[in-house]
Amino acid sequence: MKKNSIEKKRYAMVIDLRRCIGCHTCSVACKAENRVPLGVYRSWVKIIEKGNYPNISRHFLPTLCNQCDHPPCVINCPVQATWKLENGIIIIDEHRCIGCKYCLASCPYNARHINPLIPIVQKCTFCHHRVYAGLEPACVEACPARARIFGDLNNPQGEVAKLLSKHPFQVLKHEMGTYPQVYYIGADLDAMDPFAGRKEWM
Amino acid sequence: MDVNVIYNVEHEMHLGTLIALYFYLTGLSAGSFIISTFAYGFGMVKYKPLGKIGVVMATLLLIIAPMILLIDLAQPLRFWHLILYLRITSPITWGTFLLTLYPINCMIYGYFMFKGNLKRTKIFGLIGIPLALMVHGYTGFILALGKARVLWNTAIMPPIFLVSAMVSGLAMMILVVIVKDYFIQRGKEHDPTLIYGLGKLLVVSIVLDLILIGIDLTVLLTSHTEAYIAALMLLEGSFSHLFLGVEVFLGALVPLFLLLFPLTKRWVPGIAIASVLTMIGILAMRYIMVVGGLTIPLS
Repeated sequence: MKKNSIEKKRYAMVIDLRRCIGCHTCSVACKAENRVPLGVYRSWVKIIEKGNYPNISRHFLPTLCNQCDHPPCVINCPVQATWKLENGIIIIDEHRCIGCKYCLASCPYNARHINPLIPIVQKCTFCHHRVYAGLEPACVEACPARARIFGDLNNPQGEVAKLLSKHPFQVLKHEMGTYPQVYYIGADLDAMDPFAGRKEWM
Repeated sequence: MDVNVIYNVEHEMHLGTLIALYFYLTGLSAGSFIISTFAYGFGMVKYKPLGKIGVVMATLLLIIAPMILLIDLAQPLRFWHLILYLRITSPITWGTFLLTLYPINCMIYGYFMFKGNLKRTKIFGLIGIPLALMVHGYTGFILALGKARVLWNTAIMPPIFLVSAMVSGLAMMILVVIVKDYFIQRGKEHDPTLIYGLGKLLVVSIVLDLILIGIDLTVLLTSHTEAYIAALMLLEGSFSHLFLGVEVFLGALVPLFLLLFPLTKRWVPGIAIASVLTMIGILAMRYIMVVGGLTIPLS
């Protein structure tokens, strides 16, 4: 975890996979809230199955933009169309984006997509418009199992900081040096590995 | 242990063939510019017939290449944002300025060359060499700084791009000279030693290119899991036919044979075939780098 200055807000999300039931409610809520077109997703739940009968289990990995502290998409955007806000959320200026797609190629998490209706790049913004109004992101509010917890990482009394202080957690592609701000509790390594279960690649 | 992916989302990458073609054309342009400066910048009299053709090719290609980039943009009419809202950490911003300065320098250099002002030609030729190297080097950086893609994110990418630019530029110049000598000015007397000289340079740069590709593959094969998978993709996976068959065998080994074998190295049609194959091989290399790099899954 990267240490930020304590005064500033730093929004982060904890996804507690001990609670996740793989119902895709977060994906649907995100689609409805952000009017995400057909064929693209800002948040989705990867599902894997592993083992041989009778020792078998199913694992979920809700995936969204990691709102990295060192975001490669921001560093590589040639027109400053995407940047990190004071509170750590990465947003996109849809009127400035020229659609060069370099950020799509730079993102290690496959989080960005081209909107098929208006040709610009879009991604999850932690529902910035809702957070600004004092609400929680749509996926967090809709999750029936309360597996997604959203809040200020720098508030020691907040649920995010408490969970991360007490539990072992994981982030995706730690080795990329992006300092992702979506933390997973109880994530399965095979679910986090892009190559696991792909016979054509192994 | 069996692992099966039940559900996952992979976003379509709308990036690929056009970008590969753009890299190819900039490479050709940089290569032919550098060959054109052999005579007018460094005073190698042997290559004097290539000066004018080289600069014309370099300028024309560098006018077409940015057009391809513009077509590839999802919002082509917002291209001016690149100049107004530039971000200096992005290699595309470096490219914005290089792709503006380099063709202008090419035109000035060409103007003085056709005017016969040798002193100024030399000055602008020598200014143009670092520009040509940077114009093609920055395309290597575009790939190298896309750190999500394991095939791209290597420090050897800019040198590989520079050397392959030299390879494709030399091959194109050989073809241009052959077309000029044997088709356009058929009646005139011509000296094939120029073609042989360029052929020798082509051999050197193909060998250098093969060495760099070998270094890249060796490191990929011994590096972390994802890199190993990328190397396997090139050697036995979905891109192996294109990589081993077209890029390495047809694009490098067959031309090397044609250019070095005593029976064929003085045979002009053989040199022409070698040049065509080399150009196809480098185009395949650009395609493998861009499209192959993007096919490796991320989620």
